[in-house]
Amino acid sequence: MDDLFAPPGNSWRPVSPQLRRLRRTMLLACVVAALVALAVVDVVLSLPVGVTIALAVVLLLLAGFGWWVIGRNAANWGYAERDADLYIKHGALFRELIAVPYGRMQFVDITAGPLEQMYGIASVRLHTASPRTNARIPGLPAEEASWLRDRLTELGESQAAGL
Amino acid sequence: MTERRPQRLSPLTPLVRSFIVLVAAGTTVVRDVTQGEIGPTAMLFALLLFAGGVYGAVSWLRTTFWIEADELRVDTGVLSRQSRRIRIDRLQGIDIVQPFVARLLGLAELRMDVAGGHAREGSLAYLPLGEARRLKDLLLARRDELGASRQARQPGELAAHPAGAGTAASGAAPRVAGAAAPTGFPAATVPLERPLAKVDLSTLLLSIVLSGETVALVLVSLGMAAVLVAGGQLVGFSAFLPVLLGFGVAMFRKFSGNYGFTVSETPAGMQVSRGLFDLNVQTIALPRVQGVVVSEPLPWRALGWARLDVSIAGYGSAADNEGPAPSTVLPVGDRRLVHELARHVLRGLDPEAVELRPVPHRARWAAPVTHRFLSVGTDEHLVVSREGWFSRRTHAAPQPRIQSVRLTQGPWQRRLGLADVHVDSPPGPTTVRARHRDAAEARRLFGLEVAMTSWARRNRP
Repeated sequence: MDDLFAPPGNSWRPVSPQLRRLRRTMLLACVVAALVALAVVDVVLSLPVGVTIALAVVLLLLAGFGWWVIGRNAANWGYAERDADLYIKHGALFRELIAVPYGRMQFVDITAGPLEQMYGIASVRLHTASPRTNARIPGLPAEEASWLRDRLTELGESQAAGL
Repeated sequence: MTERRPQRLSPLTPLVRSFIVLVAAGTTVVRDVTQGEIGPTAMLFALLLFAGGVYGAVSWLRTTFWIEADELRVDTGVLSRQSRRIRIDRLQGIDIVQPFVARLLGLAELRMDVAGGHAREGSLAYLPLGEARRLKDLLLARRDELGASRQARQPGELAAHPAGAGTAASGAAPRVAGAAAPTGFPAATVPLERPLAKVDLSTLLLSIVLSGETVALVLVSLGMAAVLVAGGQLVGFSAFLPVLLGFGVAMFRKFSGNYGFTVSETPAGMQVSRGLFDLNVQTIALPRVQGVVVSEPLPWRALGWARLDVSIAGYGSAADNEGPAPSTVLPVGDRRLVHELARHVLRGLDPEAVELRPVPHRARWAAPVTHRFLSVGTDEHLVVSREGWFSRRTHAAPQPRIQSVRLTQGPWQRRLGLADVHVDSPPGPTTVRARHRDAAEARRLFGLEVAMTSWARRNRP
């Protein structure tokens, strides 16, 4: 099914590997917190050993699955600039390919939360008059994000069309 | 020009605004007085009534509006004064709304739809109905005049054209010549209305009886009856009553909201007026239409009936929460009439002329029932899709209005080699989407739509 989401030109521009690292770190933090909570519950309620081990195994399996999903998902984000529109594709299980004409963009945002800043990445989001346009590129290196925003804004202004 | 003098709203305005309170307070006071004694509640109410009356009167006295240069100015406020300026050249449309009490007194509210503004930003309540209509026509005529003069404006023409010059920052105060504008009240005479469609009472009633809600109600009733019979007692009945009541209220609101539904053509656009208690007159500017939806619920199909909704930029899908959606152009009508109106709203483009293609047979594994009703088609002006078994809906959007195009595929669709294409329009009832297409065809359709929408935007009439 790769040709269905094939790039319009040569190749997709990928997002930063920092996105994967950030998400995996957060996943690990959650798993550690859950294991600590499990240990506390175990001590307080004195659960049978079998139950504790089973819960811990389930937790670790879920974490492993999450690890794999994050890797696949991050590898599937990509964008490509064309003459009149921007293509974005994402998703591993549920895939989506979005085309936003530059002339339709109303504004472009960059957001970077504290964690994202620590990893030096930011998300760019394109807004059109339709709320269903779900055009977001997460995990771009910060300077690439601001470069892309400036470029998109410029292209949007030169090709702007009213409603 | 008389319009340049500050004018007041109708002196009955405070009465309409506080009608409910007045009735409540009035009955309390009267009851207490007739019982021969004035209790503390009645005293309090009387005091409140008096204070409210004074406030209302002062508020009325201090609310004025007038037209100056290319702005409608509204001054309000009892303690803190507010001055609101509405740029006439940015008016998108003007609706006349008559809530029930105002209608009894022959008053109306003028709601101005300003580009990029909120619904409440421009509102004049209440004016006598005739004056409201006159002001609406005057404002719309002034807007067109401003737009035309702006387009035709030449540097040397400036002095000779006070209407166009009013937009300049030089200010309009010394421009007495403005009164000599040749187009004083062009549309203040009887507006040119050409009726296009009218929903008669029996059609409206029958359409409500044959709607999806009724079918659901019948099914629910049958279910409840079965439960009651099986249980052999009437315990559940009291729980069922509110449901019944809810259906009744919903159906009645549909009836009262769409009563006397009339569609006509005016110089400012298509005019829709409706309402049994609250009269609503709305003007749809055709250049702002983003798409149409023709719905044909199953019970209507035998009668050849359909309903027409439009997406209008700036209105959204739930702009007001009372009664039917503001996007409805015809709540019920003959299919041919609905398609004729759809062509009119789309300014000549015909959704029926677009050839629709069905989905591949294997789509039945993704949509067992509805796959037979899914179809899509495009031409250089429109993109059209159809779906739905019980309520068949045909969505159509003009190519230059498309905001973005999306291609999506879930895991199950991937197994079957299918994909969806979504065409995104501004918020409104129109959602054109091609579900469960063959994957290769979907990618082709996606590429075609992307190319078509940019081509159509460049070559727009």
